[in-house]
Amino acid sequence: MSRGSGGGYDRHITIFSPEGRLYQVEYAFKAVKAAGITSIGVRGADSVCVVTQKKVPDKLLDQTSVTHLFPITKYLGLLATGMTADARTLVQQARNEAAEFRFRYGYEMPVDSLARWIADKSQVYTQHAYMRPLGVVAMILGIDEEKGPQLFKCDPAGHFFGHKATSAGGKEQEAINFLEKKMKNDPAFSYEETVQTAISALQSVLQEDFKASEIEVGVVRKEDPLFKVLSTEEIDEHLTAISERLTPSSLTKKSVLINISA
Amino acid sequence: MGDSQYSFSLTTFSPSGKLVQIEHALTAVGSGQTSLGIKAANGVVIATEKKLPSILVDETSVQKIQILTPNIGVVYSGMGPDSRVLVRKSRKQAEQYFRLYKEPIPVTQLVRETATVMQEFTQSGGVRPFGVSLLVAGYDDKGPQLYQVDPSGSYFSWKASAMGKNVSNAKTFLEKRYDEETELDDAVHTAILTLKEGFEGQISGKNIEIGVIDNDKIFRILTPSEIEDYLNEVA
Repeated sequence: MSRGSGGGYDRHITIFSPEGRLYQVEYAFKAVKAAGITSIGVRGADSVCVVTQKKVPDKLLDQTSVTHLFPITKYLGLLATGMTADARTLVQQARNEAAEFRFRYGYEMPVDSLARWIADKSQVYTQHAYMRPLGVVAMILGIDEEKGPQLFKCDPAGHFFGHKATSAGGKEQEAINFLEKKMKNDPAFSYEETVQTAISALQSVLQEDFKASEIEVGVVRKEDPLFKVLSTEEIDEHLTAISERLTPSSLTKKSVLINISA
Repeated sequence: MGDSQYSFSLTTFSPSGKLVQIEHALTAVGSGQTSLGIKAANGVVIATEKKLPSILVDETSVQKIQILTPNIGVVYSGMGPDSRVLVRKSRKQAEQYFRLYKEPIPVTQLVRETATVMQEFTQSGGVRPFGVSLLVAGYDDKGPQLYQVDPSGSYFSWKASAMGKNVSNAKTFLEKRYDEETELDDAVHTAILTLKEGFEGQISGKNIEIGVIDNDKIFRILTPSEIEDYLNEVA
């Protein structure tokens, strides 16, 4: 039988290390980065946009089946960064919970309720030894009836916060630095600005220009609160708009990129 | 808890007689953001730092001080996700008490039940202790009360207490300034000054949270502008 309490098992299951840390949770964060994908979410004045890389490792794969962007209900979307298998079980459970909520209470599950539910489930995995934490960071987006556009991020530790903009994955810190500068004065982005900020942030941080087939984009808008995954044509329109704007971002950001992924 | 393979406790005695998992949990609390509470003659105040990981985080989506019942509030130091579990369980216990006895749960009872939950997680199979210490502030028929509950499940009533990163400086500060006759308003000022002692950066209504309960027995969380008013009085 394996005994914890400093017998070296603090790295194998989620019990405390002598420094008061949970190594399994920290390793779960590393697993998210190891997936090699970076995602970005931006909240505008009346819309929310999430963007992620779409890497199809084999040409024989059916690209339509490779996705990290999942509708949970008609109005809520979830972008999962990290281990795909863990993401799928999380999405499955979230869809079930949102549907039960609608049945039980008679109204659509709000964004923050879903985020809290996911975070609480993740917390259970950090406290009970029988399940490991999931290697997924989930970004949830939707339009709240009272608070307007909402973007929440939930991580393996069970934290969840509302964000004006955020990032997850391999180049998370660089993206957050980029976004902090852009959102410093609380700008109220229109729908186009929101989408373009998100996409250009990803391009700047990964230092490459994308084709429409290499990224996935999901949006919700106040005037159309259904969660939508943009088609390649719509993504192309935004990409063209960005390159026509001649953003200086590709020039300035290279010098201050600090890679602190473990 | 029903964790099948783990029907044995993960928190076991070391040869020196210590429960090391609890000690590690206390270390986790000690690296959390500072929070404190002060019991005044006519009420209680609890306060905490609210340092967010980035300016991109929407601070209105975060609330560290939580209401357990209309006359009991709580703040934590340590791991946020663990505190949510305890808040949820405590709220439920308070409601169950009310349903059974048709009167609001006394502060001591709620604290004791919460502490029992925390103790269970140091002894049950397949779970780790909670990585939080709680400061529970309430006002019932026995008057204003302030309790601190630790990961081990032990709890004490305090006149003033602090937890988290800056605990030793904060407690020294509080020991000097504590006075049993203090009124609630002055206690809020003292709380702010104590937080200011160890605060990195510019203190404002947006990066601290304050909750008060006075003799109307209603626990209130101050709005950022109310906090700013107090900050201006103190500066």
